[in-house]
Amino acid sequence: MSEVALLQLIGLIVVGCGIAILLFIRAMFVRVVGFVVIVLGTFSLIALGVPQMPSLPPAIETFDITKVKTPDDLAAIGQKIFFSKGQCALCHSIGPSESARCPDLKGIGAKLTPEFIYESLTQPQAYIYLDFRHNGPPKEYPARMPYINKDPIGLTKQEIYSVIAFLQKMSGAPISIKVEDVLKMGTQEDEVQVAVVSHDR
Amino acid sequence: MPSGRGSLILGLVIVVGALFVLSAVAMAQSGAEKAMSVEYRDIPGLGSRNIIWVIAQQHLLLAGFVLGVPIFAWVCELVGWKTKDPRYDKLAKEFTKLLTSAYATTALFGGILLFLLIGFYPKLMAYLTDIFFPSFIVYCILFLLETATLYLYWYGWDAMQGNKKGFHLVLGFLLNIFAFFIMIVPNAWATFQASPVVIAEGTAIEKAWAATWNPTWWPVNIHRLIANVVLGGFICGAYAGIRYLLAGSREEREHYDWMGYVGNFIGVFGMLPLPFAGYWLMREIYQYNQQMGITLMGGFLAWLFILQAMLIGVLFLGANYYFWMGITHRIPGAEHQYRKPILAMLIVLMVCLGVWMTPHSLVASLEEARKMGGTHHPLLGVFGVMSAKMTVSNLMILVTFMSFIMYWRAGKQETATWARLAKAVMGALLILAGIAVIILGVWGYFVPAIIRINYFSVAQVLIVLFIMLTFTPLTALLMKSAKTTAEMIWGQMPVRAGYCLVSNAVMVILLMSLMGYARSSSRVHWHIYGVMRDTSEYAYSPALGYAAAFMSLNTFVFCLLVAFIFWVATMGDKGKHEPGKPISRSEPVDVPGGMAPAMAGGAPRVHER
Repeated sequence: MSEVALLQLIGLIVVGCGIAILLFIRAMFVRVVGFVVIVLGTFSLIALGVPQMPSLPPAIETFDITKVKTPDDLAAIGQKIFFSKGQCALCHSIGPSESARCPDLKGIGAKLTPEFIYESLTQPQAYIYLDFRHNGPPKEYPARMPYINKDPIGLTKQEIYSVIAFLQKMSGAPISIKVEDVLKMGTQEDEVQVAVVSHDR
Repeated sequence: MPSGRGSLILGLVIVVGALFVLSAVAMAQSGAEKAMSVEYRDIPGLGSRNIIWVIAQQHLLLAGFVLGVPIFAWVCELVGWKTKDPRYDKLAKEFTKLLTSAYATTALFGGILLFLLIGFYPKLMAYLTDIFFPSFIVYCILFLLETATLYLYWYGWDAMQGNKKGFHLVLGFLLNIFAFFIMIVPNAWATFQASPVVIAEGTAIEKAWAATWNPTWWPVNIHRLIANVVLGGFICGAYAGIRYLLAGSREEREHYDWMGYVGNFIGVFGMLPLPFAGYWLMREIYQYNQQMGITLMGGFLAWLFILQAMLIGVLFLGANYYFWMGITHRIPGAEHQYRKPILAMLIVLMVCLGVWMTPHSLVASLEEARKMGGTHHPLLGVFGVMSAKMTVSNLMILVTFMSFIMYWRAGKQETATWARLAKAVMGALLILAGIAVIILGVWGYFVPAIIRINYFSVAQVLIVLFIMLTFTPLTALLMKSAKTTAEMIWGQMPVRAGYCLVSNAVMVILLMSLMGYARSSSRVHWHIYGVMRDTSEYAYSPALGYAAAFMSLNTFVFCLLVAFIFWVATMGDKGKHEPGKPISRSEPVDVPGGMAPAMAGGAPRVHER
């Protein structure tokens, strides 16, 4: 017997008990209980009659950065980090958005150098972006940029460069982050120079 | 109430509060040290999530009652003080008696919930504690203040009569202020899970403050505040309904008939603006994250809103039916006068409910779908969209409001010279409002969704609000000078009136359970949406049938719990009052016109016969 059929059977028994109470019991409080039981049983039966669709979680994707072969692989990992652990999408939009709480990141990978993006992520107060696209004073955004390499987000250097690779790819720019440089970084905070093709800010 | 029980409750509350602080401190330290190696714990067979579901639901429903009742208990007391009518003071005291008994149980379930959350979800709780720890302290302080104020308010009721009544009212006001903050602090924790914001560097207070001001915090605060009043009103109504059914004397029947009316009135009064608050919350959810909005309204939770429509529809029908029974049974001669309008209202409500319950995509076999040309029925599919549902929900609110106005005016004859003109203006406004709501609804099909959501739906809401805000004072003015043509007779309601009040309360409890499931499920497989994923075996959201069975179980347990609490609370009454004399009938007092008689059931005095 399926779970739905079992629950339907229980629902019918519950409603039946409620009807029996109303038919045979005279004590008023018990009759009220019987009435409540009928209402709840009927509600359950109706809910069991509509399409039953549980929401199953997607498989947990794990990525091993040592298996990255191409810059596109790196950007793919960066995309996952952007929308999950990195929490970037909580505030930033890719393309114009009315509800965005931070600057739009569309085209940002082609406009800014990786060093500048890295600095913006790890020292967000070093250079404050002002949005002058509107009339009057620059638009102020309600959210304050967190330090991405510190708690509670705490991305590693490899993860940050993966995100930069994604931003570049998403902007249509060539991915200038070299896979071998990212692999050398490991998870330690060692200062490994990342070779990049320089862009003008 | 015996003082021993009071001490026990105070002791319980302090112990729970102290344990809360100690647990929070321990959690904060462990969170900071990152010493958590266990992500989840479970009780095999029962399931950690099922246990949390039951306990959290009981705590939230009790909390809703405990935070909602002081609002209208205080308003009743204020009305009694202003009108010098002792009935309101007695009613307010009776409400507060129920509140005091439920308070300790709420705290108890809160304590149990906290221990279970720490035990079952240590990693999540460490994360939340790390962010919100300062607000935990604030919450504890608020809890202590609320407890102390409630004690003074309840135990000082009889001592603070006469010239000390003003101070007692100030205590009641403070009680509500603390209760409001007690509600919004945990709301910040729950809404952060659904709509988190990025936490930047800063002090602990800065981080907690930033997380608190998340996009859905205020919509939920307002929605819950109103919903708590509705829940409290209908539960008090159900309590009165059961007492009415069990009443052994005429006086008892009169009293509990009146109390049932007031409970229903409060519930309906709160219910009218509730859909607007719900609309604002949904709008904020869509603005925050469109995917979350789609999951709710168009994804696997879409059918949930059909069930919601059914429950709201039954609630509207129940509330209106109770008003109509009041007109036909309490006011002699009114039955014939109002039969036709009642029939018209019933038809409008049934049609609106039918439209509201119509799903966008019908459950159909392949053959049926082929005949229809898809899963959308060519005619019924038109009713399945938001434009139709917004229209009918506004019409149902209008009809319910007019039921109340009709009840208020029944058995009275306006004497003001401008009464005829006022009634003509009100009639014309009502017809125009109904037509405008329908036109905007139909027009909504032909404009982009953003125009409908931002302008048309808002305009519909404003039209209905305009009617309510103009008709209420106008009717109050008309009734001020009206003469009574048929006296209200209390205690004559049929048995089904008591069942109707119980049904209304059950519908509200089910609705709160259903929407709690929706809010929780909209996070899908995230503990904190987009930030911390649920990696436990319970990361899925169960289907509606299973969830509804659980909601029914929770509702049943809650009803039994409340019945037990109220039974314990009123045990002492039997010794104090002789049978047949549950309330004292004081000397008649001149009651001014306006809202107070409306709240009292439309009659100038209950005992004026």
